Amino acid sequence: MTGPNDTTDPDGTDPAAAARAAERDAALRDRLSADSLTSRRDYLRVMTTVSGGLLVGSIAVSAGVLHRHGDAEAAEVPELRVADRLARGEAVLFNYPGEHDRAMAVKLADDSVVGYSTVCTHLACGVLWKEHRGEEGELYCPCHEGSFDIRTGAVTGGPPPRGLPKVLMAERADGSVWAVGTAYSDETARHAACRQLGAIRPGTTVPSCPHSGGK
Amino acid sequence: MTYPPDYRPGSDEPRLNRPVPERYPQIRSTSGYADPRVVHSGPGPGAGAEQEPERSAVLSARLVVVLCVVAGQLWALNVGVDAWMQGRTGTAWWCTGFEGLSFLIALGAWWLGPRDR
Repeated sequence: MTGPNDTTDPDGTDPAAAARAAERDAALRDRLSADSLTSRRDYLRVMTTVSGGLLVGSIAVSAGVLHRHGDAEAAEVPELRVADRLARGEAVLFNYPGEHDRAMAVKLADDSVVGYSTVCTHLACGVLWKEHRGEEGELYCPCHEGSFDIRTGAVTGGPPPRGLPKVLMAERADGSVWAVGTAYSDETARHAACRQLGAIRPGTTVPSCPHSGGK
Repeated sequence: MTYPPDYRPGSDEPRLNRPVPERYPQIRSTSGYADPRVVHSGPGPGAGAEQEPERSAVLSARLVVVLCVVAGQLWALNVGVDAWMQGRTGTAWWCTGFEGLSFLIALGAWWLGPRDR
């Protein structure tokens, strides 16, 4: 039953609430249609702050905040037996040198064994071994169709900015496959071996290394 | 000038023959650039014009400088991350130095013009 002072409409809506809602809608419409309130002075201040933020980020990167495959001290990482035997065209997944460093070893048609990190250098998706792509097969990232050369780990297509970090592999006489070291993106195995030797035995001079223990 | 004999100046309606200020009280003696009904400011003393064009231009120039600096910093950060990931730590630190220098330039551009910060 509705009395003379009842403000509720017969359909159950409160006129005051409806008026408030309409006012809110009008205010929102005004705000959205208004010109941007960010002045050039505000923009200048914001961009200067962004510049400072980029400086801080760069310092963090150079100081080593980002995880880098193969960053574990060479002396602390023992060799890892990843497979008793590997057939041609076959791949095996393992973690090396750290337990969170996902890696893959592949035996190629000429019986050489190569190993790479399986974390794509673009956005860290998992990289897959595609035996039937390309001439010798290739490493393929399905997220954005990045691809890497199976011999060198270099980028052959797609958006990845760097080649895959390598895992240095060795195959012993009994056919077992071992991970024996790591190399950074686009770093040669020789340079990586010299670097790790320098970490294990500082001051050692090796004639074949460009500068022993160097970066 | 001669008029027809039946000519009378003004309107037949007396209300239209009132003085202008009485007919249009909104129009004041200063109407022209102070009248809120005037949407487009006409030529008047300073009407619609930039009062300090040099100061405005300098502000825009400072903003352009800072935007260019930030674009360069993004590029340097990209190069620095790549270098560090490839083990070239020295290059990464050089990029950090570039970032620091760039920030100083941006800070200077912001610092100039104390009235426009």
